[in-house]
Amino acid sequence: MKRISKLGLNRVKLSLKFGKLILKVRWVKMGIMMNRLSDNGNAIKVENLVKRYGDLTALKGVSFKVKKGDVVGYLGPNGAGKTTTIKLLTNLLSPTSGSAYINGIDVFKDPTHALSYVGALIEVPGMYDYLTPHELLTHYGRVYRMGTDRIKKKIKQVLRTVKLKDWEHKKIEEFSTGMRRRLAIGLALLPSPEILILDEPVMGLDPEGIKEVRELIRNLKEKEITIFLSSHLLEEVSKTCDKVIFLFNGEVMAYDDIDKFAGDSQHKKITVEFLNPLSKEERKKLSSLNSINKVKVEGNTATIYNSKDKSNQAEILSNMIKEGFDVISYSSGKQDLEDFYISLVNKKGGNL
Amino acid sequence: MTKVMNKVKSDIYDTFLSTKFELLKHYRRNRIQMAVLMAIALASVFYLIPTIWDIGLAETAGDFAQLNLGFANLLIIISGALFAGDIISLEFENRTGLILFPTPQDHNSIFVGKYIASVVSTLSVLTIYYLVTALEIQYVYGLSEISTEFLKSYLFSILYMCGAVSLIFFFSSILKGAITSTLLGFFSLMMIMPITEQVMKMVEIEPWFIITYYGGLITDFFGVAQTSGFGPGDRFEATFAPDFYTGLMVMLGYTIILFLLGLFLANRRRGE
Repeated sequence: MKRISKLGLNRVKLSLKFGKLILKVRWVKMGIMMNRLSDNGNAIKVENLVKRYGDLTALKGVSFKVKKGDVVGYLGPNGAGKTTTIKLLTNLLSPTSGSAYINGIDVFKDPTHALSYVGALIEVPGMYDYLTPHELLTHYGRVYRMGTDRIKKKIKQVLRTVKLKDWEHKKIEEFSTGMRRRLAIGLALLPSPEILILDEPVMGLDPEGIKEVRELIRNLKEKEITIFLSSHLLEEVSKTCDKVIFLFNGEVMAYDDIDKFAGDSQHKKITVEFLNPLSKEERKKLSSLNSINKVKVEGNTATIYNSKDKSNQAEILSNMIKEGFDVISYSSGKQDLEDFYISLVNKKGGNL
Repeated sequence: MTKVMNKVKSDIYDTFLSTKFELLKHYRRNRIQMAVLMAIALASVFYLIPTIWDIGLAETAGDFAQLNLGFANLLIIISGALFAGDIISLEFENRTGLILFPTPQDHNSIFVGKYIASVVSTLSVLTIYYLVTALEIQYVYGLSEISTEFLKSYLFSILYMCGAVSLIFFFSSILKGAITSTLLGFFSLMMIMPITEQVMKMVEIEPWFIITYYGGLITDFFGVAQTSGFGPGDRFEATFAPDFYTGLMVMLGYTIILFLLGLFLANRRRGE
């Protein structure tokens, strides 16, 4: 009897312990879920990020959010602070102040957990020429705690995605620059990341390589991976991204849908064709006309940047005629990303 | 507590992965193969040359071991430079994925793994060198002639090797160029330190803190006092004799301090 009750007691103890364990596991899972839910579907959140290198302030309080599934371009000239932001986001650098979150997890407090959602390609990483993609990816697979079978499967899958499936056992020294870049993206894709961070992915590639990488990014977009892509190439961002963050001198200057930028700027750009090429005096006169922000003249064509909206387009035209310009055509159109970017930088008094 | 334990376990596994990856890299770069060939060649010189020229081998096993193991110092320096000379600097110079790929792997684990891989590779080469010498002794003089001194010499050379590898690892952590760090590591042990040693002896200061000062102790276990040295003639020799226990302390000091400094500096460089 005594024995039976002792056994029963042990069972109770065991089930209590087990219950506690289940509760603990559930609690941890709930914590993670709460973290992720509390971040309102943001894959990336950066708040007041500041990075100083001695006297130089590379980032001056950068803040932005990237929603899950978005493809966001991080655009800025060289030295704007793009790579610094990305290195901070991926915990390769420590910030002077501010915070960064991946899926609601603080990158600086719990980098291992936060980075488990991220695949990244930063700068142009050097590859070990004497290794094969198989050897390289196997090592990283183990780092991500994948089992042998899963590693083998993932390697095949990733190399197929980056169009290197026939090169699995060839030494990297035989690879072209474009192939190396694709392999680096493959490496970033190995852990099946929810978020892909790409820093200047087409830098240094020939047109063929650029086309291949661009196509690859478009394919990834369809797989609903959140992509954060930094570039100084407007064309790159406009061709691959849905949204764009403009960064200049360590500050975010604008952040919105690419189409919205173009939409807002509709009718701000006017193309005028004159009968004859404009003289120096005529160019000066044109620039000084009311409501004109900036003028670019090439031969007998001028591109005028209107400082107001479409309401004063007629006024600009009549002023030109009054001043004696022989206008033979006058049309307004969408300002493209480049124009918008230039106008933003001009507003800040900077040079590109 | 469990969280800490899991973190420790995870870090140990990461260090193991890093070590394994580095060993694979050494192998693919043919460095291990080169060093092993060199070890076999050096260990065979004092057996093959007298045998081929028929000039007779050393009279005793001790003399033979002393002659043969005289290259241990050189082998340690060359292997150390080969395996640790560019182990950190090359990653920074080429901006490789190890520096630029954000993974859940802690960077300390990566750097510690790299250091362990250098030590393991150099140790393997050194062990092969001692094994070949032991085989030669066994073949020529008989198994019973492999003395405890031989084992002591081996253990001492391991400690010397750890100090040398730590020094080279340290240079690799602070210098930007892979070639510069490899050459500095090699020449500091091969020339700079021995010259400093001789200069100090000349002005009658014992160079007790220089690791190469104890290099000769590797063969002193066979009962021969250290007399050879670097420099013009033997005018400055025998002024000082390196003390075994001080040597142990100095080598331990080099191993631990330079390794930790190298680790700290490599981590700091990563954050720049």
